[in-house]
Amino acid sequence: MSAPALSARGLARHYGGVAALRGVDLDLVPGEIRGLIGPNGAGKSTLVDVLSGRAPGSGGSVRLFGQDITGLGPAARRHAGLARSFQRTSIFPALPVGAQLDLAARRVGATDAPRLLDELDLARLAAVPAEQTAYGDQRRLDLALALVGPPRVLLLDEPAAGLTAEESLALADRLRELARARGVTVLLVEHDMEVVFRICERITVLELGAILAEGTPQEIRRHPEVVRAYLGSAAA
Amino acid sequence: MSGAGRIAAGALAAAAAGPAIAALVPPGVLLSLLAQACIYAILALSVGVLARQNGMVSFGHAAMFGAGAYLAGIGLGAPGLLPAEAALPLAVLAVAAVCFGLGLIVVRVHGIAFAMLTLALGQACFEAANKARGVTGGADGLTVALPREIFGLPAATFQRAEGMFLIAWLAMVALAALAALLARSRFGLLTEAIRENEERARFLGYGTVLPRAAVFALSGGIAAAGGVLYVLYNGFVSPETVHWSVSGSALIMALLGGTRTVWGPLAGAAVYFLLREQLVEVTERWLGLLGILLVLVMVFLPDGLSGLPRRLRRRHGAEA
Repeated sequence: MSAPALSARGLARHYGGVAALRGVDLDLVPGEIRGLIGPNGAGKSTLVDVLSGRAPGSGGSVRLFGQDITGLGPAARRHAGLARSFQRTSIFPALPVGAQLDLAARRVGATDAPRLLDELDLARLAAVPAEQTAYGDQRRLDLALALVGPPRVLLLDEPAAGLTAEESLALADRLRELARARGVTVLLVEHDMEVVFRICERITVLELGAILAEGTPQEIRRHPEVVRAYLGSAAA
Repeated sequence: MSGAGRIAAGALAAAAAGPAIAALVPPGVLLSLLAQACIYAILALSVGVLARQNGMVSFGHAAMFGAGAYLAGIGLGAPGLLPAEAALPLAVLAVAAVCFGLGLIVVRVHGIAFAMLTLALGQACFEAANKARGVTGGADGLTVALPREIFGLPAATFQRAEGMFLIAWLAMVALAALAALLARSRFGLLTEAIRENEERARFLGYGTVLPRAAVFALSGGIAAAGGVLYVLYNGFVSPETVHWSVSGSALIMALLGGTRTVWGPLAGAAVYFLLREQLVEVTERWLGLLGILLVLVMVFLPDGLSGLPRRLRRRHGAEA
């Protein structure tokens, strides 16, 4: 059996006396798009931070296709093939859109920056400083910066935050196409359930820093504990 | 024409303007003032490079300026040890090397903390210059006798306003062109990206400390080059050269001209020197008037005087 694309074992993170993550085990199958949902404060962003090396874990280990990356910093994890985006748009405001993609591509020896610009409808903005583009363009640029390479595993922390419902679904469809075409494994943190149920093959539910449930979208919709803790009666 | 070609053409045109200015301005106080303005413009340029590429405000660049002056002075004072042609570039390289080592530590600090750290380091250098009498001459300063010739030019060339104005002008243009080429290079783009969003740069796979330290070193080297010219012109350097008020003046010049463009700090230095000369004639409180001007520029032209053309173009575009 091949190694999971990303594997976490006993991942913990404490803030003083508060446990934000309590021994999380997670395995992503290569090529899948996995949703990560849960109520506010469940530890979703903390999990992404620890997986990506933004925050140190208080315990546990992280492996990328079998390689132990627990002790690596963000830059080294990116070289190993793990990329991420952020909840708040994280781009380089004063730099032209195309130059940002070039910068990202050059570091990982990629040549797909021009194609990504086209595929994410950013080519027309290549020479425009990012701060002069619309919010939706900035979110797509954020996604493009994470996708360039492409990475082997991509962690997306609410990529549709702040977008209209229509924009969110369009971004989700585009993300699914791009990830599948490139064989990228995705862990998607998202509050918009329509986006999650639309593109994720499996969903993991976090509550109070621990995994509450895991399954297909259909299984999660019907899971009584998930409905109680997070989805509510609207999911049924 | 490519970006590098435009920079080279602009630098050549600016270099050619130097002799024209020297021919138009009568020898005397004004030319001496212009020579000093060019030397301090190099210091302002170094502050501007750090602000533009690293987004860092330094209150301690007089230390690099003064260190360049002292090291060059000490080197020139020991002609048996080193020829002047080696001592002068070595003074610049030594300051840049120390700044690189220091940069590996200090560039990890951001914002106001970095500004305070540079202020503290600058004042530590001021105290060291005062106390190390055996090396620096202490509070009395270091008098430097130039050798008869440096780089084939008579020493008097460096100590006359006409000569030093041309030398400092050409050095200023060359260093500004270097800074402009850096800004347009891949390395320049990377440092701007780190300035804009260091965390994202890390998550793209870039180490962020080394590039920032390299910019700090380059900035320190430019400041030191200004210091070398200072000691050549004056034949003297004292702890006052290292004082934080010199760093403050350089920062005012850079902010006045604006740090978004390479040439902004140079324009700021020109305005600062020319205005100061006028204001000194009017009132003893000239510094207060300059402060008011700086406040007005910051409020109405946050990008400094060099931001004015861009602002006018935008307004013109909006009206069209």
